[in-house]
Amino acid sequence: MTATLETTAQSTVDVAVELTGVRKVFGHGSSAVVALDGVDLKVEPGEFVCLLGASGCGKSTLLNIVAGLDGATSGELRLTTSRPAVMFQEPALMPWLTAQRNVELALRFAGVGRPARKRRALELLELVRLGDVADKRPHELSGGMRQRVALARALASTTVSADGAPALLLMDEPFAALDAITRDVLQSELVRVWETTNTAIIFVTHDVREAVRLGQRVVLLSSRPGRVVREWDVTDSSDEVLDEINTELREVISGHAS
Amino acid sequence: MATPPDTLDKVGAGLDALDVPIEAHRPPLWRRFLKTGVPPIIAFAVLLGVWQALWASAVLPEFQLPAPVDVWDELVRSVGSGEAFGILWTSLHRAVFGFIAAVLIATPLGLLIAKVRVVRAAIGSLLTGLQSLPSVAWVPAAILWFGVTPSTIYFVVLMGSVPSIANGLVAGIDQIPPLLPRVGRALGAGRLASARHILLPAALPGYLAGLKQGWAFSWRSLMAAEIIATSPQLGTGLGQYLHNGSSLNDINMVIAAIFLILLVGIGIELLLFRPLERAVLRARGLTGAL
Repeated sequence: MTATLETTAQSTVDVAVELTGVRKVFGHGSSAVVALDGVDLKVEPGEFVCLLGASGCGKSTLLNIVAGLDGATSGELRLTTSRPAVMFQEPALMPWLTAQRNVELALRFAGVGRPARKRRALELLELVRLGDVADKRPHELSGGMRQRVALARALASTTVSADGAPALLLMDEPFAALDAITRDVLQSELVRVWETTNTAIIFVTHDVREAVRLGQRVVLLSSRPGRVVREWDVTDSSDEVLDEINTELREVISGHAS
Repeated sequence: MATPPDTLDKVGAGLDALDVPIEAHRPPLWRRFLKTGVPPIIAFAVLLGVWQALWASAVLPEFQLPAPVDVWDELVRSVGSGEAFGILWTSLHRAVFGFIAAVLIATPLGLLIAKVRVVRAAIGSLLTGLQSLPSVAWVPAAILWFGVTPSTIYFVVLMGSVPSIANGLVAGIDQIPPLLPRVGRALGAGRLASARHILLPAALPGYLAGLKQGWAFSWRSLMAAEIIATSPQLGTGLGQYLHNGSSLNDINMVIAAIFLILLVGIGIELLLFRPLERAVLRARGLTGAL
């Protein structure tokens, strides 16, 4: 099996991410598990796409492949964006660094000089309304605030490129561990940040309501192996679409009860 | 959607205000001293009282159990004549040089063991085993190899402290949550940048614990070496002082020496390692042990 993976940087395209026939197999021989099977997905620059699926549908695997943290077994990945930024379910901030230093870390790895780093980090913290707590360490912040610092850090790592390539943000159930009110606030915060930064976002979730509320497009994945089942345009979401997606998701899940 | 954005913004601001943990108010200095300084002083006083009572009851002859005041006189004498400072200096500078050398050897060794699988498989358990081997056991061999020279003493000190420091670093690296290096990779950190900005700072608490234990081991290995390997050309360290006391059947000297050895151990812990450890742990919000 040969993997054909390409990362090309073209600036005059209407696509930010393109996956063609991506397949991912874990393990070998009889114990091999097919996590993804022939996934095709296109994301436009600045588009907000939600990947929806039950557990075991390989949505995290898909995200890791796009992030470059994991390789596909076969298939093709094309990115026209700058380095994709990743946000996980946990904020995963460095506990020994202040909020500002955590954001700066991303810029440091990208080789940004100290004064520019400081300025940009403060700007991004202002964007997520955390300018006042820039010098606090993670343990002094609440869960929601930490996740916002993580968002600022992710934005720092993706919007840094000088050649003006579109930015891409990958989010792996980033609000799943938060309480309902905080999640509500952060969802609107994310939409606001998305509108001001024009970043393409691939958002993984198992929450239909969240997917419909945030995304412009919802992509439903089946489980074991993960395949794209259906897509919905949810720019002007109605309750009917929500019900429809819910029904479809339930069907996908109940298909596994044998 | 149902809730207009301004309202949500206000809710968000309210949440932030409510969520920020309230900073614990630090009590004033005298109160902290009362809490942390007074109990050990009382414990020491009680110990002295028991000692004095035992001596007064005369269950043991004077040459085995001296009066506290006699030991105190011996201490005052050696400090007054300047002898104590010479002895302390001889031992301390050996311990400090030995410890610095041990850190320089153990740190790259620990990194290798933690990050290179073959090295860990080959010498990982040997290093842990060496930790349980009393370093006194090296003294006879070292005397045969190096003679009664400073090399013997340094060798024993290194064999005592290198395993502890290296093992501390390995444990520190092993306990890093795997998500942190992953985040580093997602942010575009290379191997070196990841080691410098993520692995080493994340492993710092474990490394520090290793350093602390390494210091303790290097200090006690030094004492063991000094007690056994005595010769005029080595000068008089605390170990020799203790040895001399034993040879002269002078129990006051022996107890004074033990007291000085303890004093150095406690002093270094209180003046160097404890503040360092506190600063590192407090910065990470780990205040349980403080």
